[in-house]
Amino acid sequence: MTRFSSPRLHNTSLNLVRRIAPALAHRLLQAVLVALLVGTLCFFMTRMLPGDMAYRIAAGRYGYDMVTTAAAEAVRLELGLDRPWPAALVEWWGRLLQFDLGVSQVTAQPVAMEIAWQLGPTVRLSLMAMGLSLLIGPTLGVLAGLKPGGFLDRLTLAVSTVLRALPSFLLGLVLVLLFSVKLGVLPAAGHDDHGSIMLPALTLALGMAAVSCRVARDAMMQVRGSAYFAFALTKGLSLRQALLRHGLRNVAAPVVAYLGVQLVYLVEGVVLVETIFAWPGIGHALVHAIFGRDVPMIQGTALVLGLMFVLFNALVDAACAFIDPRRRP
Amino acid sequence: MSMHSLSSDDFIDTAPQRRLGRAQLAGIALLAAIGSFALFGPWLVGIDPAAQQLDRYLEAPSLAHPLGFDQLGRSALARLAHAAQLSLALALVSVLSAAIPGTLIGLLAAWRGGWLERVLAAVADAVLALPGLLLVLLLAAFAPGGFWPLYVGIALALWVEYFRVVRAATRILMASPHVEAARLLGFGPLHIVRRYLLPELLPRLFTLMRFGFAGAVLAMSALGFVGVGLQPPTPELGVMMIELLPYYGEAPWLIGAPVLTLFLTLLGLLLLSPEKETA
Amino acid sequence: MNAPDVTPALAVENLAVLHGEQALVRGVSLAIPPGGVLTLLGESGSGKSLLAQAIMGNLPSSLRCTGRVAIAGEMNDAADARSRHALWGRRLALLPQEPWLALDPTMQVRTQVAETYALVGARTDKNGQNGQRGGWRARFADGKARADRALASLGLGDAAHKYPFMISGGMAQRVAFLATHAAGAPLMIIDEPTKGLDADRRGDVLELLRAAQREGMSLLCITHDIWLARALDGQLGVMLKGEVIEQGDAAAVLAAPQQDYTKRLLAADPACWPAPQPAGAGTGALVRIEGVAKAFGQQTLFSGIDATIAPGKIVAVSGPSGSGKTTFGNIVLGLLKPDAGRVTRTPGLAPTAFQKIQQDPGAAFAPRITLRQSLRDLVKLHRLDWTELETLLQRMRLGPALLDRLPHQVSGGELQRIALARVLLMKPALIFADEPTSRLDPVTQQEVFALLLEQVRASGCALLLVTHDDDIVANVADRRIALG
Repeated sequence: MTRFSSPRLHNTSLNLVRRIAPALAHRLLQAVLVALLVGTLCFFMTRMLPGDMAYRIAAGRYGYDMVTTAAAEAVRLELGLDRPWPAALVEWWGRLLQFDLGVSQVTAQPVAMEIAWQLGPTVRLSLMAMGLSLLIGPTLGVLAGLKPGGFLDRLTLAVSTVLRALPSFLLGLVLVLLFSVKLGVLPAAGHDDHGSIMLPALTLALGMAAVSCRVARDAMMQVRGSAYFAFALTKGLSLRQALLRHGLRNVAAPVVAYLGVQLVYLVEGVVLVETIFAWPGIGHALVHAIFGRDVPMIQGTALVLGLMFVLFNALVDAACAFIDPRRRP
Repeated sequence: MSMHSLSSDDFIDTAPQRRLGRAQLAGIALLAAIGSFALFGPWLVGIDPAAQQLDRYLEAPSLAHPLGFDQLGRSALARLAHAAQLSLALALVSVLSAAIPGTLIGLLAAWRGGWLERVLAAVADAVLALPGLLLVLLLAAFAPGGFWPLYVGIALALWVEYFRVVRAATRILMASPHVEAARLLGFGPLHIVRRYLLPELLPRLFTLMRFGFAGAVLAMSALGFVGVGLQPPTPELGVMMIELLPYYGEAPWLIGAPVLTLFLTLLGLLLLSPEKETA
Repeated sequence: MNAPDVTPALAVENLAVLHGEQALVRGVSLAIPPGGVLTLLGESGSGKSLLAQAIMGNLPSSLRCTGRVAIAGEMNDAADARSRHALWGRRLALLPQEPWLALDPTMQVRTQVAETYALVGARTDKNGQNGQRGGWRARFADGKARADRALASLGLGDAAHKYPFMISGGMAQRVAFLATHAAGAPLMIIDEPTKGLDADRRGDVLELLRAAQREGMSLLCITHDIWLARALDGQLGVMLKGEVIEQGDAAAVLAAPQQDYTKRLLAADPACWPAPQPAGAGTGALVRIEGVAKAFGQQTLFSGIDATIAPGKIVAVSGPSGSGKTTFGNIVLGLLKPDAGRVTRTPGLAPTAFQKIQQDPGAAFAPRITLRQSLRDLVKLHRLDWTELETLLQRMRLGPALLDRLPHQVSGGELQRIALARVLLMKPALIFADEPTSRLDPVTQQEVFALLLEQVRASGCALLLVTHDDDIVANVADRRIALG
């Protein structure tokens, strides 16, 4: 009674926590499920890939010339590869949940460190792609929705259909061929400079914008024809006032909600686009790890991508709740 | 709904509902063309896609060989036909392997309810926690270049969609006044499924299958392209694309063919849905 | 009473609404004196909503109108909708049907009222004051303050910070009223104010309209509710098929209607229904209800209900909305289990002896198959006689062509009669009718009810009836169970 700032304030913040808790718990559970799924699959990978796993890990550590059977045995004992699989699996999970990601079999560097380097480029690419798509898609969609059947509407429908039939790797390919080969303008593959993020980000952004444009257009049409929009006009607001005060937020709600669906496209696309453009991110690392049978890296990168997916989903949930009061817990 | 609501009794719509727009017809035509090509192409072309004639390196298209020859002297048309057949067949099998179990499990979960439903829902959530391509990638990592991981991976990633849709629709239906009335009148579960559930579900299932099919073809070619899926010399659309990429300058039609085929397949599938389903 | 040179608040001359060449509304002329009320009474399909839209200048683009409309003396060609758009909010206001749909679901209640004050009210202030010339922020602050006061004056002070989906239908109606009235329009069109609201909320609607009148507003009220027309007094116009067939002082028209249709319409009011035939002697207990109770989450709906329903008796279940009348009926039918107590049904009855008629007739039929197919399935399942069904349908005055349609292609009244025929085919021992006519027009309501009663008495089955209308209960029921 004496130490809290005020009983009412204490109540409302407690209330907030109580309301958010289920949604947060759901996302946390999802994160744990992702970790377990990825971990379990990778565990079985170590047991099932052709070739002697322990030998290869040892070879990876010390080099193929230097490895001895003793070294391989040591690795086998260390990783528990000789133990029956249920116990080993539990131990694998334990290590995972303690954030022990192991060491790359190819570079002999800790997986966590490698991923730390790669996280930046991937996050930048994702945010840039998302930002570009939100800039292009919903804007065009709202404009198209204001005049259904008009030129912009039909144009965006046609372009959006064509773009949706071009998967991200194909679109990336086409853009590479067009821009770098034909015009020699943008570098086809490269590293962290501002110019070269454009092509991969644009590839992802165009694919997402194609869909969000139509979602926004449908939302705009629905809002325009809704009873509350008509009421806003009849109570005396001008069209512009009604659009800004009632139209935008109600269009934003389904568009942001749809972002959640698009996150699947984004994460999958990141993997493909990074590989095509040799963008040094986590997706690229995952594919290379699969080539190299580098199980710790496979696990680490897949895990990070999965968790990123869960995190972005949680952020979209929060954005939805912010915009639309009906979605607040 | 227009913003001017006329009372319902002023205007009752007795028009029939089905109508095929031009886009849908175009989509059907495209799919029919590509489907026939995939089905009969390999047999009609009659050339072994693996047969190499190194002296016909990058030979230009001619009347006898409409797509010419690739860098190893193999008939590009034959390879395309076989690739189309492989991709489409695999996609079809994966989708069916996902749709049928997914639907049945969804029905079961919604019907029985209780702990069984909760367990199944948890499993579905676990699979959904990971984007599909990632799951397929992980499974492909088990046997890179293999055919089975692709098939299993795609089916596993897809079945959840069917489960979710069927379970949600069934639950809603079970609680609806329509089914209550039917139960009171003495109708049994089979009748309810036939007259109430299926008409609701079938359109949605077909939409899911179309998108699932597109996704499957896509996943295979994407993995083939980045080198983790099927491997050369297997004729597969994505594999062909990566193989022929270096020769884009000299022989653009070679990479153009699989790109166009994939694009047209996806376009056809997309055009089938009326504009309202952005799914 | 009206001096001939007082400018009417609203005057309509020879208004017609046309769809191509077909006239949906024709030859309407009326006038409302300042501070007066005109009620347009009519059923669905009479064109009254179209008339309101024509006056507002809000018709869909496929329709056009001719004639003249004068608002506070300013005469306008009715077809010139744009000039009336400029009057919206300031001179002419509209309270739409189902006003809870007219509120932006993502904006707080208080802001929706305040924005009218700030954006619409500031420009023309009828008192001649210059309003708040200071910037946008000042106007909004002022608007919010005035909104808070207005909401409090209607008892909505607590709802100010809520969102529309959190408040009840009646509250939403009052909010919409304030939002559209905030700019001080002296003339308001009110479209079907009692539609979608529970019948026991009608008093609140009346109070709202009377409050508006007290402020000096002129009202044009469109409704199918005779009770409301009677209570509002003022002028009355009866509409049928697009024409105003009778017009005059409300009291006079309602006491002594001239036209046949008006007479039928007034006779459809349950308060005027003829006394029923005496019930047949039913012995024994069909259903025995002992100490039944049910709770919904934390809230107890009802408890300790005891009743016996004898065959052939009509029992009414009444209570305020939310008191669980539908739930109670479902318990009697055996669809739900009570939390306490028990329901004993006479043994030896067929499992289909207990049937239900729903409030929304469309909810009782499979939506995607034709009615004929639904009925055939039933006949096949129970090996019934199709000709018996045809006789029943004939008795319900339903044409056989209707059966080839889908449920949503048939009107509410017709669908409810088909549902009734279907239920009767099962030769039930008890029919639970859950507000079977509340979604129907008054005349249709009376027809369906008469049919229901006739069939029930003829077949000797019991009827458990849920209704809001005390008049119906008094007229029809042998017994009454009051919940809540």
